Amino acid sequence: MKLSVALLLNSKLKIMRKIHSLLLLFIPFLTFSQQNNKISDKSNSKEKQELQNNVSFTGKVVDARTKTILSGSTIHIQGTTHEVTTDDKGEFKFITGQKYPLVLVVSYVGYKTQQVLVKNSGFVTVQLQYSESDLREVTVSSGYATQSKKDFTGAAAQVNAAQLENKPAQSFEQLLGGQAAGVDIIQPSSALNNTPVFRIRGINSISSGIYPLIVLDGVTLFTGSAGGAVGNDPLSDINPNDIETIDILKDASATAIYGSRAANGVVVITTKKGKKGKAKVTYDTWFSSSTAYNLPHLLNATDYVTIKNEARVNAGLSAGFALQKNPDSSIVNTNWYDVAYHAGLSQSHNVSISGANDLTSYYFSAGYTDQNGFIRNNNFNRKIARLNIDHKLTSEITIGTNISYSNSLNSGPNTGAIPPNSVSASSGNTYNSQYIGTEPLARLTYILPPNVSVYNADGSYNINPNNGTIGYGANSSSLGVFNAWNLQTVLDLDKNTSENNTIIGNVYGEWAILKGLKLKVNYGIDNLSVANTGFLNPYSGDGATARPNIIGGGSATNTYSKYYRTDLVNSITYSTTFANKHHLSILGGYEEIYRTTNTWGATRSGITDPYYSSYQGGWSTITATGNAQSTNGLASYFSTVNYDFEKKYLLSFNFRRDGLSALSANNKWGNFGGGSAGWNISEERFFKQSSLSKVINNLKVRVSYGVVGNSSIADYASLSQYSSGTYEGIATLYFSQAGNTNLKWETSNKTDLGFNISLFNNRVNIEADYYKNLINGLILNSPQSLSQGIPGSSIVANVGSLYNQGIEASVNVHVLNSGKLKWNAILNVSTVKNEVTSLGSGGDVYQSSTFGIQNVTRVGYSVGSIFAVPTVGVNPQNGNRVYVKSNGQQVQYNAATKAWSNLDGTTATAIDNYADGRIQGPSLPKYFGGFNNSFSYKNFDLNIGITFSGGNKLYNGTRATISDQRYFNNGTFILNRWTHAGQITDIPKLVWGDNFTTGFTSTNTANVEDGSYAKLKSITLGYHIPNINTLTGNRIASAHFYVQASNLYTLTKYRGSDPEVSINGNSINSGKDQNVPPNARVITLGLNIGF
Amino acid sequence: MKTKIIHRRIVSRIKLLGIGSIFLFTSCTKNLLDAVPQTTIAGSTAFSSSDKILAQVNAFYSQLESSSFYGGGFIVNNEQRGDEFSQNDGNNSTGANVWNQTITASGSYVNSVWSAAYTAINSVNIFIANVTGSTLISDSLKKNYLAEAKFVRGFAYLNLVQAYAKPYALDSTSLALPLRLSPEISGGDNSLAFSSVAAVYKQIISDLNDAEAGLPVGYSTALLNVSRATKSAAIALKTRVYLIKGDYTDVIAEATKIVSATAPFQYTAGTVTHKLESNIATVFGGSYTGNEAIFSLPFVNASEAPGNQSALAYNYLYPILYLNTAAIVSDTVFSSSTSVDARKSLVKTNASGQKILNKFSHNSVPYNDYIPVIRYAEVLLNYAEASSATGNLATATALLKAVRNRSNPNAVLQAASISTQAALSTTIFNERRIELLGEGFRLFDLLRTVQTLPAKIGNAGTAPSVLPTASNYVWPVPSGEIAYNTLAPQ
Repeated sequence: MKLSVALLLNSKLKIMRKIHSLLLLFIPFLTFSQQNNKISDKSNSKEKQELQNNVSFTGKVVDARTKTILSGSTIHIQGTTHEVTTDDKGEFKFITGQKYPLVLVVSYVGYKTQQVLVKNSGFVTVQLQYSESDLREVTVSSGYATQSKKDFTGAAAQVNAAQLENKPAQSFEQLLGGQAAGVDIIQPSSALNNTPVFRIRGINSISSGIYPLIVLDGVTLFTGSAGGAVGNDPLSDINPNDIETIDILKDASATAIYGSRAANGVVVITTKKGKKGKAKVTYDTWFSSSTAYNLPHLLNATDYVTIKNEARVNAGLSAGFALQKNPDSSIVNTNWYDVAYHAGLSQSHNVSISGANDLTSYYFSAGYTDQNGFIRNNNFNRKIARLNIDHKLTSEITIGTNISYSNSLNSGPNTGAIPPNSVSASSGNTYNSQYIGTEPLARLTYILPPNVSVYNADGSYNINPNNGTIGYGANSSSLGVFNAWNLQTVLDLDKNTSENNTIIGNVYGEWAILKGLKLKVNYGIDNLSVANTGFLNPYSGDGATARPNIIGGGSATNTYSKYYRTDLVNSITYSTTFANKHHLSILGGYEEIYRTTNTWGATRSGITDPYYSSYQGGWSTITATGNAQSTNGLASYFSTVNYDFEKKYLLSFNFRRDGLSALSANNKWGNFGGGSAGWNISEERFFKQSSLSKVINNLKVRVSYGVVGNSSIADYASLSQYSSGTYEGIATLYFSQAGNTNLKWETSNKTDLGFNISLFNNRVNIEADYYKNLINGLILNSPQSLSQGIPGSSIVANVGSLYNQGIEASVNVHVLNSGKLKWNAILNVSTVKNEVTSLGSGGDVYQSSTFGIQNVTRVGYSVGSIFAVPTVGVNPQNGNRVYVKSNGQQVQYNAATKAWSNLDGTTATAIDNYADGRIQGPSLPKYFGGFNNSFSYKNFDLNIGITFSGGNKLYNGTRATISDQRYFNNGTFILNRWTHAGQITDIPKLVWGDNFTTGFTSTNTANVEDGSYAKLKSITLGYHIPNINTLTGNRIASAHFYVQASNLYTLTKYRGSDPEVSINGNSINSGKDQNVPPNARVITLGLNIGF
Repeated sequence: MKTKIIHRRIVSRIKLLGIGSIFLFTSCTKNLLDAVPQTTIAGSTAFSSSDKILAQVNAFYSQLESSSFYGGGFIVNNEQRGDEFSQNDGNNSTGANVWNQTITASGSYVNSVWSAAYTAINSVNIFIANVTGSTLISDSLKKNYLAEAKFVRGFAYLNLVQAYAKPYALDSTSLALPLRLSPEISGGDNSLAFSSVAAVYKQIISDLNDAEAGLPVGYSTALLNVSRATKSAAIALKTRVYLIKGDYTDVIAEATKIVSATAPFQYTAGTVTHKLESNIATVFGGSYTGNEAIFSLPFVNASEAPGNQSALAYNYLYPILYLNTAAIVSDTVFSSSTSVDARKSLVKTNASGQKILNKFSHNSVPYNDYIPVIRYAEVLLNYAEASSATGNLATATALLKAVRNRSNPNAVLQAASISTQAALSTTIFNERRIELLGEGFRLFDLLRTVQTLPAKIGNAGTAPSVLPTASNYVWPVPSGEIAYNTLAPQ
């Protein structure tokens, strides 16, 4: 496998040759499967002898629309057990003792089973109709067991391979937006491999983890962000093309089997398996171009100079800004967006080989992707291979493995979009730790003056000789420090990389001990190794140093992290049917999950020669950084019982007892469980006999209730701890964490009421649910009054409670499903009402910040609500911003004199962001969903995906940045500033140095905006090349070509670049757009070939 | 047939074993759930050896050294609120709102300074509670450590009361702070009523008296003598406390314990000698542990040094702060081209023509200039000011000259500037500005004398003057206290 990966990577273009090599490597498998075919041939030959002189006929099975051959289709003669399968040309042959006419039953996975009447020995061509709904009997996987969707009484949504394949993305969650009810995906920026926000049914905690649990083939995966300044979503170590299905488990019934890990919902991923038939080889590729979508309009150099000088004069200071001339006497007018962004080209290649016979199934894939974002130097490169094998050792014992290895390297500038490192399921959730540093790229594009040049006339970087900031150009140096770096220097010289080497895999054995009784042992590992490097140059950027001391500046930081988890599950299932009416299955098991986190690193600073550009170079000082070492254990007993009576009455019970190392000594164990009941009304005789059954094909009502927990807390959360350091080089020992000896499980009570209904001959399928998640004893980093002097000023305690409730509906309509034009439409809509009902005695959860308070979590409101001081606008008389204090009093702020006054001019006290601020609305959308349409006509297919979301507020911090009256560039809207008495405007009088009225250092409602939007997420137009097999002499079985455009248009009132953009990632403090690069618009060309 | 039956039995037993094996792994559960941190020490064993107790003593000091507090941030904040510096950078993360006097209760510096000081106080309170009854260390060592604890607590409260409470001379009865004197280890003790300014000072003096009584005159090395509290450090700090309160006779009583009656002024006890260095440059760029240093915060390992945004060198040399041309840098000591005062060499001019302070010159990582907290020159000036205030002009003049002539042996003070009590007091006050420039004194000198905070102009804009009656004359109680301490004055 390694060899094949290496071969694959040598060259991106000579793919065909590589497929060849891969095939060579897989000869053992192919011959193996051929041998098995021979075995079945033998039985055929036996038959042959017996049936000599009987009729024989041949035929072929193809896709009705594309005429693609369908090898591995099964054909049997009705009323007999005689069955054959089509060969690699899609052909079959029967020699049978039956007499004409006879009826063939032809079936193929994903197609409608068809009956064909054969009257004579002519060649039969069978055209099968592709069918989404008949793709297979839909099953829901809990990760421990699968159950037919028909019998399933929990709430779960399923996303299929077709919804994920062949789309430009780094990780599969980026593709889930709008695909499933109850699942909210927000792409907080298109910096490559930035972890999207992923919520299932709202935010279900405050201090503990809020990311769903992700399980791949029974292995719990690491999630979060691990790349430091550059993105690293560990889920990008899964190839989206390897995924067969994603089951998103939402209610307690579906998730209770995960007990304490289920509070945020569970995502169960099943990778592809080989399907019966000859080896199937596919090659999928795409090429894409990514550009920045909807950048804010900024001032040009001339307007910039006017605006800034006006602000200077208004502050009583000398003007100092001036236009600079190029040598050709044109005006220097730098567009810093051009320095930062370009059209990034990407490509992806995937090869897979799969197949199965009666004993063995195999699936192998190898993928390579090289993606360049619209941010310069931002590159994501992944090599990945997967092998899934399942083999029947004896009739009783099955063994198998699913294993993948990936190497991914993400590199790029510090964009300002990436939240700090936090690998969840290894630690709790940090709320709002985003530091708005000075180096991030998007911020620099907004603040760098347009009237200075990138380079000096001699070609050197335009840098202030004092300290490495941007040079003044024609501006006066008395303007003070332009605390902005030369972005070109930063892009050229600074480096950030994050590289993963990941092995995710499991081995399993299944032993059918007795009829209906199965024992299964599954051992999985997720080994995520992350190497992060960073280099800051000494010339300009966060590593800059005062001149002339280039030597002594700069720094380089390398860290290495190893996240390692093993997961052992022993389970036993017993299924039986008695009296032909009672179906019972029981699952019992024991599981142990052990995780270790080891991180170490150092920062070297003080470059000894400007030649060096890496950690390993010459430096004068080294300090340790990012060290962490911890372990976490979870032991569990679990059980599921499913029972149904005649498929009418369905019952399901789950129980799990979990012990978690992170909890206090006497509270480690907790019991979780859930139950659900369903009634398949459409199975009732009275229903079948009623006229309703002609309209309603299927009707099921469901109810579930259960208790799950949240184990995503810090590894040693309950312990009181002292940490070591040094003072004057001598050991210190200081109080570093106040423990809580009573820390116990946080529990989530989930209630769900739902129904599934199919109408009009299954043309309309509706699934709808009401849900309520009530979280009690919520583990909160309970804020403490600062004067207690407790480390971090918080104590972990079970003090809070909150709930999420709402309605979800998914409507799938086969609008047109016969004839040449087909149209399938899927609409899903979800609502969420989130409310914090208790924070114990602690009070508000928020963080005081130099940059104002944008989010507050307060009892009676949604988690992380948007917070700001009300402003009623600008006083037309003097251009001052007018605020409303907490007592309702209107006061105005004169930015020039820093004086506060009432509207009558008498002195007033200053407003305070916290004391006078008010909750403005939820940062969580109240509703969201997707509307996906797929059309097909002859050989064409068209998909249109729309996503929408709304009811939430956003804090437009970027607008504060581009309103800032320091040297910052401004948005063109600033031209409407107040200039004369009587003028009505919403932009205050400009005063040099003012970043208060702009809403940067203290939030005000001028930047609070409605976050509702509808987005044309993607349009894909595809074409199946007809008769490709005959054209290529059966070398190629199918070929599909497509063109796709994503993020085409957004309908929104939001004035920023994109209402999805946000800085705090998967934290409770969402909805804050602050200097984050925009989202991308991507055009993709792709090709899928089947051999 | 028989073998078949036996075979079946074996198979069924194996199968039963298989079913049973599901529970086999439970045996290791206990270890699985008892994960113990490898990188921290459990609270229950944090005082279990004499070495750990000593490490906790060192930890108090390292908490004073917090980058938000005396590691740099707090000193910079104080200079920003005073008038000696102009602000270059308009970003609040570099304290522009501290400089222009607009910071409010939810401002981050207002919260972080309070938090850092109380964290040091709590570690002292925890230490006192755990060590008072400990039998792991000798009584003499215990006495020493507990005295150090009280020194640190007194020092932390002194800074809090000056930064957040009305000056003693303005209103000693107003509510100042919650006086936390008991350990807080498990939280929930959010609310505590605020004590008056006078009560806080009373506690500070009590702590420093206890410290003086228990502290040794010195330790085994020169570094320890300046980095851990000594008897002379407690006394020296008391001269500052009494001066703030205006208790001049107490200032003199304390000062005479460590200042000889006649020049050359000095103090010797055991291995410790305190006197002025012959060259002021030695105090900042030299050994850091010379005779003038009474109490300093050292940065020996690179990991102890503050980050750039709070480092004094970065703030003064980058520069975030440059010298306000309308303030003390206009004094002839600095501005006269003929000045030969050694302190002039601690001010330099950068490429933009700004005058910047060069006392802390390590302007790259690690920012490891030691921070002088109490030095002998301050004690002499405290003593001089108190002497002048109480009418002892001769002593006051002698002390003043000791400071001035150290940097310029030929300097002659104008008669008019020292001949009257008022003039002499003004001259001494001015000398403090020259001598202690950039060391965090100016704001508190203005506050204790209830003077208006002057208006300033800088590249970051303008800062208005602040009258003693204004609500922002001192910092507000931080929002992180108000939000959770229900007894905090609203």
